[in-house]
Amino acid sequence: MRVRGVGHRYGAVTVLDGLDLDLPAGGYLALMGASGAGKSTALALIGGLERPQRGTVVVGGQALDRLAGDALADYRRRTVGFVFQHFGLLETLTALENVELALALDGVGRMERRARARELLAAVRLGGREEHRPSALSGGERQRVAVARALANRPRLILADEPTGNLDATAARVVLDLLGSLRSEHGCSLLVVTHNPVVARRADVSCELADGRLRPS
Amino acid sequence: MRWNDALTLAVRDLLRRRVRTALTMLGVALGSGLLVALAIITNAADTKVIEHLGQGGPVSVIKVADARPRLNQLESDNFETDAPHDLTDADLAAIRGAPHVGRVIPVLTSPVQELPAQGGTFFDDIIGTDMTQARSLPITVLAGRLPAPASMTEVAATTDFLEKTHVDASHPRSVLGEEVMLTTPRVEAGPPGLVHGRSYRAVVVGVVAQDVTDGDFVVPVAQAQAARQWELGGAGSRDFPLPTSPYSGAVVIASSLADVHDVRAEIFVLGYATSAPEHLVASVEQYLGIVNVVLGSIGSVALAIALLSIANALLAALYERRREIGVVKAIGGRDRDVLRWFLLEALGLGLAGGAAGAMAGIVIAELIGLAVNQYLVAHSLGSLDLVGVPVLIPLAGWLGTGALAVVAGGIPSLRAAQLPAREAVVEA
Repeated sequence: MRVRGVGHRYGAVTVLDGLDLDLPAGGYLALMGASGAGKSTALALIGGLERPQRGTVVVGGQALDRLAGDALADYRRRTVGFVFQHFGLLETLTALENVELALALDGVGRMERRARARELLAAVRLGGREEHRPSALSGGERQRVAVARALANRPRLILADEPTGNLDATAARVVLDLLGSLRSEHGCSLLVVTHNPVVARRADVSCELADGRLRPS
Repeated sequence: MRWNDALTLAVRDLLRRRVRTALTMLGVALGSGLLVALAIITNAADTKVIEHLGQGGPVSVIKVADARPRLNQLESDNFETDAPHDLTDADLAAIRGAPHVGRVIPVLTSPVQELPAQGGTFFDDIIGTDMTQARSLPITVLAGRLPAPASMTEVAATTDFLEKTHVDASHPRSVLGEEVMLTTPRVEAGPPGLVHGRSYRAVVVGVVAQDVTDGDFVVPVAQAQAARQWELGGAGSRDFPLPTSPYSGAVVIASSLADVHDVRAEIFVLGYATSAPEHLVASVEQYLGIVNVVLGSIGSVALAIALLSIANALLAALYERRREIGVVKAIGGRDRDVLRWFLLEALGLGLAGGAAGAMAGIVIAELIGLAVNQYLVAHSLGSLDLVGVPVLIPLAGWLGTGALAVVAGGIPSLRAAQLPAREAVVEA
């Protein structure tokens, strides 16, 4: 992943101002910063949720400023995997179906995606909780379902936005352990946005955002 | 995302918000139910009533006079007669052979003097016709029965006779079984003013309302022919000439209501004056058309309100699920995936509400049909079966509601599809 000179504003407020960031294949980067520092915006730009107003973002050889519409959706589906602070699970679907959804969006057939979803849930140690709805799962379990979903389409980059923000210490540790081990097993890069130094310490590299620019920490 | 996956999402979301879904469906059901019920009722009015009246009923009856027509005959519902024109069996056969003619029933009238048992003397005609075909004639039995087809003594009194004898028309049974002396006069040759009569006693076996022609009694044609034979045995006079036409008229039944005008035109060409309630039928059809438009408008407004409730429910769902939609897009969902999801929700609401509405519409229409039928029977207006719903109307109502629901859900669905993926990370 290579980010160069990215700038972004919301109205009169400058959120990012010339952000440069690199993450090698298989790397683990923690992006820190105070609330409102632009961490989530940076994540949204790298994840293709928004297009940068200035600068370039290249992930896996794809320049995001050249992608739009279905191509950008394909990028989000196949190149990156998201883990949200709020888990982002659909309440009407079971744990298994939530993981399957990512595969269904990619057109994977029912049998194949079901098998893959079971495999992923087993990998995040939720083998017995497949038919549970999110409301019947603890916070840690929900986040593990979200991790399984993020890995569903074998992405090259996992983007985690405050993945432990809504978890207690024990659950947070389990999720971070999982993210670390699965990164190694799946050979993907990991970018974690956090304001928690404990989380940041697990990364290979951590950076801090301040005033829209990167400040090495 | 495939359609079946989008359907799963849509169904789960509808089931998650059960109360809102139920209320929205109820609104759709009420709207479509009302429209289906009105469509069934107006369809019954259009088809069953008009067809019932038109197929051999009074509105497809054409009366033929033994007279030539005036040039404006076809512009009028009434007889526009010119000079007398004998109506013979050959003429009746010619009419019978014309296209779209169902039946031709000859009518023979003969003047009589009437002496009822309760007193008084009246002069009018007896109307002779084929009793075996009386069901096709504009004759309604109010009490008793029609005379036996070959009877020479049984007659049915008309409401004109009741009026003359001051019998309450609402109690027609009071004249049943009464005897009446009927005398056919004839002017004899010889001294002026010499008149003889042929009398017979007849029994009133029924009372009828009829629109065949003027007269006090409906009788089997044989009675009228006997009277005519007696009359022809005389010499006639300048004031009372002997009749020359074998029949005084005929009743022609067109194959269908739509053929009435054509048949009248054919009879016009054959040289006979006619009368038929053509313009009345046109007026009835026109009024039914207006009723259809009014009822259809009411139903359409109800359905439009119901569809707005679908749009409203989907907009509410859109605002509630902004983050959810954002997440689906963040994990790779395309605009069309979200569009399918929401359109299927709209379709689901429309089809479920439409199905309930179609069933409710059938029940409402059946109940109204039963009530109308009971009213007709209670008022001796016959029986008109409005029960029996054509499958096409509720089916069209159901599918149409589904299709309209998709249209109503179009804008909310498009807005949902166009939500940016960034909604996934926006603070709730």
